[in-house]
Amino acid sequence: MSDKLQQIINKQQNQMTPGEENMENIVQLVGFVVGEEEFSVPILSIQEIIKPIEWTRVPRTPGYVLGVFNLRGTVIPLIDLRLKFGLPSEAMTENSRFIVMKNATETAGFVIDRLTEAIRLKKHEIGPAPETSMQEKSMIEGVGKQDDKILTILKVDKLLERDF
Amino acid sequence: MDEFQEILQDFLVESFELIEQLDQDLVELEHRPEDLDLLNRIFRVAHTVKGASSFLNFDVLTHLTHHMEDVLNKARHGEILIDAGIMDVVLESIDLMKALLTTIRDTSKDEGIEVEACVLRLSAITNGDSPVDTPVTEAASVVEEPAEDEPDYANMSDDDVEAEIQRLLEERQAADKAKREAKNEAVEEVEEVDYSNMSDDDVEAEIQRLLEERQAADKAKREAKIAAGEDVPDIPDTNEAPAEEPKAEASAPVPAATPAPAAPAAKAKPAEAEKKPAPAPTATTVEQTIRVDVKRLDHLMNLIGELVLGKNRLIKINDDVEERYEGEEFLEELNQVVSIVSLVTTDLQIAVMKTRMLPIGKVFNKFPRMIRDLSRELGKKIELEISGEETELDKSIVEEIGDPLVHIIRNSCDHGVESIERRLEAGKSETGIIGLKAYNEGNHIVIQITDDGAGMDPDRLKMIAIDKGVISEKEADIMSDKEAFGLIFRPGFSTAAQVTNVSGRGVGMDVVKTNIEKLNGIIDIESELEKGTVMKLKIPLTLAIIQALLVGVQEEYYAIPLASVLETVRINKDEIYTVENRSVMRLRDEVLSLVHIADIFEVERVFDSSEHAYVVVLGLAETKIGLIVDTLVGQEEIVIKSMGEYLHGMDGIAGATIRGDGGVTLIVDVAAIMQMAKTVKSSVTAENGAGSGSSREKTQPSDYKVMIIDDSKTDRKIMTMALKPLGITLVEATDGVEALNILKSGEHHFDALLIDIEMPRMDGYTLASEIKKYNRYKSLPLIAVTSRSGKADRMRGVESGMVEYITKPYSPDYLQNVVKRNIKFTFAQESAS
Repeated sequence: MSDKLQQIINKQQNQMTPGEENMENIVQLVGFVVGEEEFSVPILSIQEIIKPIEWTRVPRTPGYVLGVFNLRGTVIPLIDLRLKFGLPSEAMTENSRFIVMKNATETAGFVIDRLTEAIRLKKHEIGPAPETSMQEKSMIEGVGKQDDKILTILKVDKLLERDF
Repeated sequence: MDEFQEILQDFLVESFELIEQLDQDLVELEHRPEDLDLLNRIFRVAHTVKGASSFLNFDVLTHLTHHMEDVLNKARHGEILIDAGIMDVVLESIDLMKALLTTIRDTSKDEGIEVEACVLRLSAITNGDSPVDTPVTEAASVVEEPAEDEPDYANMSDDDVEAEIQRLLEERQAADKAKREAKNEAVEEVEEVDYSNMSDDDVEAEIQRLLEERQAADKAKREAKIAAGEDVPDIPDTNEAPAEEPKAEASAPVPAATPAPAAPAAKAKPAEAEKKPAPAPTATTVEQTIRVDVKRLDHLMNLIGELVLGKNRLIKINDDVEERYEGEEFLEELNQVVSIVSLVTTDLQIAVMKTRMLPIGKVFNKFPRMIRDLSRELGKKIELEISGEETELDKSIVEEIGDPLVHIIRNSCDHGVESIERRLEAGKSETGIIGLKAYNEGNHIVIQITDDGAGMDPDRLKMIAIDKGVISEKEADIMSDKEAFGLIFRPGFSTAAQVTNVSGRGVGMDVVKTNIEKLNGIIDIESELEKGTVMKLKIPLTLAIIQALLVGVQEEYYAIPLASVLETVRINKDEIYTVENRSVMRLRDEVLSLVHIADIFEVERVFDSSEHAYVVVLGLAETKIGLIVDTLVGQEEIVIKSMGEYLHGMDGIAGATIRGDGGVTLIVDVAAIMQMAKTVKSSVTAENGAGSGSSREKTQPSDYKVMIIDDSKTDRKIMTMALKPLGITLVEATDGVEALNILKSGEHHFDALLIDIEMPRMDGYTLASEIKKYNRYKSLPLIAVTSRSGKADRMRGVESGMVEYITKPYSPDYLQNVVKRNIKFTFAQESAS
């Protein structure tokens, strides 16, 4: 366990020193679509990805908190990213998934429209978040440039933070 | 260093355990200052702590306990008589000792606490005070040889200590023989009693002899007996000498050295003394125990929780399987296994729960001391009677219950029990009695606090509450006596005219209420003027796994802790009245305020045609409320799970649990609901007028709405044509999924559904059973329209909740009639036909 942790720490440290083009300098991301746009989160913050299952509404929460669901005996909050991003709600489809993300303190499921792919980006291919979203509140960690498209990388800590 | 830590841990655990008993012993000692068994026990604590702390280099603690030991040693040698003044100092030093131990626990050092003042007072007692005190007592009782007495005892004390150590060692060896000891004790006692009447030299010689004998003797039996004998006698040794000799002398002025004449006097005492030492051996019969880290128990409890959930699920699956494969042979076997698993799980759960149980005596122990201090402070005479201290309850609850009890007892002392003068005026004995009693009642433990004081006057309480702006006059008018008693729990409420050290700030009882609510407990107060007050705290035995009542509202389910459910009633909607914008109902002779669970949890009430409602009467602490629900599902054992930080502390939700079907059900936070009910806008009665769905009044044919669900466009057309003459509104859907979505969107309120059976994505049967899952569609007529005409098909239709079954082809008239009948169409048909 601590080995793994050490690896992660090493990796993060390496990421902070740009320029070195070794394997350690590559960030692995999982891409997904919400609405029209493609987003991604670091693969290390994803616990698992499951197909939609039944959930229970929790009253007196903001609309984007759909409720809670049972993930093998653990009760986990479910958040609809469409609503969280201010997009109109849409029924779930064959392609919808729950991405279960976690950080040190919290675990939650996020509803996304569909998965795209696992992405490897070199550190220098990731730019800072756009000026307008540099504030504290921003959920954007950075922007990845890949061939012809632009990929928004989300801050997992921000997503998992209760803001109501 | 680690070794040191380990020793330190043991030392702390032992010391705290010793001290727990200490307070009670000390207070008792004040009543029976001559009870040497007690004195010795107390002395032993000081001695043990002193020994260990000096070994561990806690100088301050050693210093303090050393002086305590001196005082106690003198006391048990009868050189000083413990009176209230001395007791105050001793108690103070015990408090300091506790504080020091706590500091050591937290910082591993015994610094930062000033003990010198207390030490001085202690040494004043040993040196200065004692000659003042002792001569008086001794002069009264000892006629002949006061001067000779003292030095002799002083000489003896060393031997005493030695004997004491010896005894302690042997006590341990002899623990398993405790029973026999107890039996032998009586016999031994009579023998030993003679020592007390021997002169001191003789006693010393005797001890010498015993020691030699012991060394020489073969181990087991002999030693055990002697140890047992020693247990009492070496107390009497010293104890009866001072305490009794004088009496013997007083009754017969013969020198104590002659045993014969003293015997009768001494014989009377042993009988008495016998009773007191009796509990001592039982206390030393240590049961075989292991210390277990509470975390491990918590973990075990969590695992059991998972197991209970698994069991629930298994039972559910078993039921399903039973239904499906009725009459199959393997069913019986499955049944057996499921029952065994379920039985064992329940037993296991109880067993683990028991490992977490502590006797409530742990909490009760501190109250004798508290009452003593309070009664001195308040200048009243109060006695505490404790019973049922062996009643057990969960560790987490034991930890929570202490504070509320402190406040209740303080309240009883201050407001309940009257001053001595008033008590005498009222014709009561001058000593007020506060009773503290614990007992089991079903799945609850009841802690009852009684006092024989002045009682509470509901009218006066109301007056004060109005004065302080706690309630309005109107509220006061409709308040029952019990509710008025409940006022004492309101924050800011106090009947004390002035703020004293003990009470009057209006905080304490509020704490009681909050803590008891946290435990899902109920407070019940009965009070009679001039007779006293009885307060009952009813607390569930455990917190992790609870019994819950499952209720339904629309298509949602909630679990209510059964501990808070007083009863459930089925009422007609017209039994609900509105008072000051609040919904209330009459429940026997009480007025119960009502709140609809849908209002609290913002459940959209789409369909609500039933004339009846179920009211779950909730009781928590001292308040009651009626919660209106749509359905009562049943009782189930649930395990409380946290919903994580993200959803922690949502209003009205205490947590979640996983049900037998794998779904999550939320657990209602009864305390929060009671708070929310005060502010939530009531629509309980509003719904009667406005209504929704089918209860909406129909003024024209087009108010009726029917959905046609068929994948064939032609078939939909045929049905539309057939129904058009009725003038009703028609909505079309092409398959089950679409129909379900239209229905769920709540945009339309349908009076009936026409459903084709063969459809892509979701067929008619599935659609029907899906729809019937929702409470609000329970009475929505579903009509199958299909070309399948087999009997089995019809059966399936009925099973899935269809009310009619029309086979294609059909005549338009027939369809019309079936629809009309099902939607209760009351308009004359348009002339088109």
